[in-house]
Amino acid sequence: MDPFATLGLERTYRLDLRAAEKTHRELSRTLHPDRYVGSGASERREALEKAVLVNEAWRIVRDPIRRAEALFTLAGIQVGDTHEPKPATSLLMDMMEQRETLGEARGKRDGKAVEKLVLEMSARKTAIEGELAAAFDVARGDQGKLTLLVAKLGELRYYRRFLEEASAILDDLGTPS
Amino acid sequence: MTLLDIFDPKAAPKPIGIDLGTTHSLVAYVEDDRPYAISDCDSVTLLPSVVAYGPNGSVTVGTLAKAQAAEHPRETIVSVKRFMGRGADDPETARLGPYAFVPAKPGEANVVRFDVAGRVVTPVEVSAEILKTLKRLAEDELRAVGGAVITVPAYFDDAQRQATKDAGRLAGLEVLRLLNEPTAAALAYGLDKKQNGTFAVYDLGGGTFDITILLLDDGVFQVKSTGGDSALGGDDMDRAIAEVIFTRLGWGAKEKEDPRVVRLVLDRARAIKHGLTESPTVEAEIVPGKSVTLTRAELDGLIAPLLDRTGVACRRALKDAELTAAGLDGVILVGGSTRVLAVRAYVKALFGKEPLADIDPDQVVALGAALQANLLAGEARDDILLLDVTPLSLGIEVGGGVVDKILPRNTTTPTGARATYTTQEDQQTGFEIHVVQGERELAADCRSLARFTLKGIPPMPAGMAKLEVTFRVDADGLLTVHAREETTGLEQTVSVKPSYGLDDEAVERMLLDALDHGESDLRARRLAENRVEAGRIIQATEKAVLADPELLAEGDREGIRAAIQALHAASQGEDPARIHLLIEELDASSKGFATRRMNRAIARAIEGRKVDDVAGGLAAEGH
Repeated sequence: MDPFATLGLERTYRLDLRAAEKTHRELSRTLHPDRYVGSGASERREALEKAVLVNEAWRIVRDPIRRAEALFTLAGIQVGDTHEPKPATSLLMDMMEQRETLGEARGKRDGKAVEKLVLEMSARKTAIEGELAAAFDVARGDQGKLTLLVAKLGELRYYRRFLEEASAILDDLGTPS
Repeated sequence: MTLLDIFDPKAAPKPIGIDLGTTHSLVAYVEDDRPYAISDCDSVTLLPSVVAYGPNGSVTVGTLAKAQAAEHPRETIVSVKRFMGRGADDPETARLGPYAFVPAKPGEANVVRFDVAGRVVTPVEVSAEILKTLKRLAEDELRAVGGAVITVPAYFDDAQRQATKDAGRLAGLEVLRLLNEPTAAALAYGLDKKQNGTFAVYDLGGGTFDITILLLDDGVFQVKSTGGDSALGGDDMDRAIAEVIFTRLGWGAKEKEDPRVVRLVLDRARAIKHGLTESPTVEAEIVPGKSVTLTRAELDGLIAPLLDRTGVACRRALKDAELTAAGLDGVILVGGSTRVLAVRAYVKALFGKEPLADIDPDQVVALGAALQANLLAGEARDDILLLDVTPLSLGIEVGGGVVDKILPRNTTTPTGARATYTTQEDQQTGFEIHVVQGERELAADCRSLARFTLKGIPPMPAGMAKLEVTFRVDADGLLTVHAREETTGLEQTVSVKPSYGLDDEAVERMLLDALDHGESDLRARRLAENRVEAGRIIQATEKAVLADPELLAEGDREGIRAAIQALHAASQGEDPARIHLLIEELDASSKGFATRRMNRAIARAIEGRKVDDVAGGLAAEGH
């Protein structure tokens, strides 16, 4: 499946998400099951299949990690746990330290400390997303150059997992964020 | 029913919207674009969600049933919604309440069973009684009812949704859609005020709490995130007050086991809660000579922990929507429990703005449901669209009892996910899959939805078979599962056994039992339903042909016309199966035309061009 084509978008990392959201909404207007309550079974099924595809495409395209994954896959580069290069040791060490700090903050039920970590990690996530976007611009379908980018995707994954964990901890602590 | 009834637009069956609430239920319809709640002969719109079972098999619903609760607490089911889609071993059944439960026999579905006057009933059957009463009310007002939208808490899981849909079916309703309560409320507000912006809907009912953040943009109601607690509401406030009453009167375990005392105390507790909205102190006589006095400050203290639970859900929903409270354009209050002053004050402080409550919080959900029903089966308007989300993440149990999340919460519906599995042993022909819903990491901490076994995998060495399992969540928020063996292309039969809930057979059996003349009644019902469906599909097809004649291929017009005539004729007959067959034939003869229309609409949506009337008119004239 090509989520970019489904939404009529150019196959790039840098996207006008607002325009894409608009297209998603217009497509939903056309394909949502609510529009086919009075239709025959095959028409209902066809619209449903397409509505699911459109929603899936939008879910992929709007998400920095899934969007990158889709671009790699469409360029013939396999991604996912077993296919990606091992992360750099420095990154692993760094993440381990961050995790420890997070664990300590959780142990002390220190919401403020968790929030501080969230802010720092969000900044790193934004930075790597920017790097990824710039690199995708340069690589432009060149498989060799693209392959080198996969490591950045791995990094992004680490940051996100950390942020998800921190978010769950904040939920548990019931701290406003 | 004569054919005229079906095709005369004035007598056309009217779609209805139903709010099946914990404490009250009500039904509404739309006339000239405005929704109206239907009242009973006493001009009361709120039907108490209470069902009383008499010794001779009689069933009473509503105010009369409520009046019996004090005398027959065990036989009078109050707040049945709290038991929907829950297992017999659910902690909900162990809470303070007057009921007697029957444990499930081996092999029986794991659902709550009430022992009432020598009968055993499930929450689905109890809810169906409420729905039947509402249907009768609607029929008295509208003559014929054609399809219903039933609302559910946004935070209801799959089992609770399925139970609600089953109850609708059992009550003889064509359930057009299950609609999330906060979304229904937003629809009522949005269409009333014609406002754009981002809103939070804070919905605290008798037994459930929902928070929904949604964007209103030119007729599109797009839910950004939703959260809540499907076991948190006004009932919990009543229970907290009841515990105070028990303590102050020095009553203990003995009194708590007496269903009459429990019912009485819970009722007094609710009266105290209501009274404290008007006055700062309420003194209530529990039994002659024994009174309890409660102040508003004491009530506030009792419900503070409950409100904090809603606060956690609200903050998470805001975070999921990538918003802060300051970014909201408004907060809408829904549900009877938002009348409690402390609740209003809490919401105001939490979101930093005065919440809106100008549509009756008890009625707004049903009014929104009626609007949606009208959009689905009445006058379709393509300028309005509801885009809702899944409330809980969907996952599969993998090794070590860990959950592999395949669909995150807050995914726009309809949606789907695929997962590929392989066999672990040589010649393995079956495969068990456990589907769960929830945010926790371990399957045991999530809600179990279903276990099913994929059978009939051709014998192959381990790791050779590739099973692709497709999960789909439809616009009702309901899950279906399909599986395919990739190497052979073999479709697998998936028999989903719901973890909590009734399978199709059980519902069918109840349906037959519920009808006085079983099979023949069921056939009559099918006939009526198929006639309605036939009328609807003929209308839709004729409209499509008129709108886009240029997309008809050679012979389409004749084929479709013949199919419509045949279906029309069959609708005048008495054979539901024949109507069904001819509906399928009309569907088949217009399939190519329908696909071309859909594809053109897709192309237009992508180009960002709205189908404007001028262009459409010119195209029509050209042919």
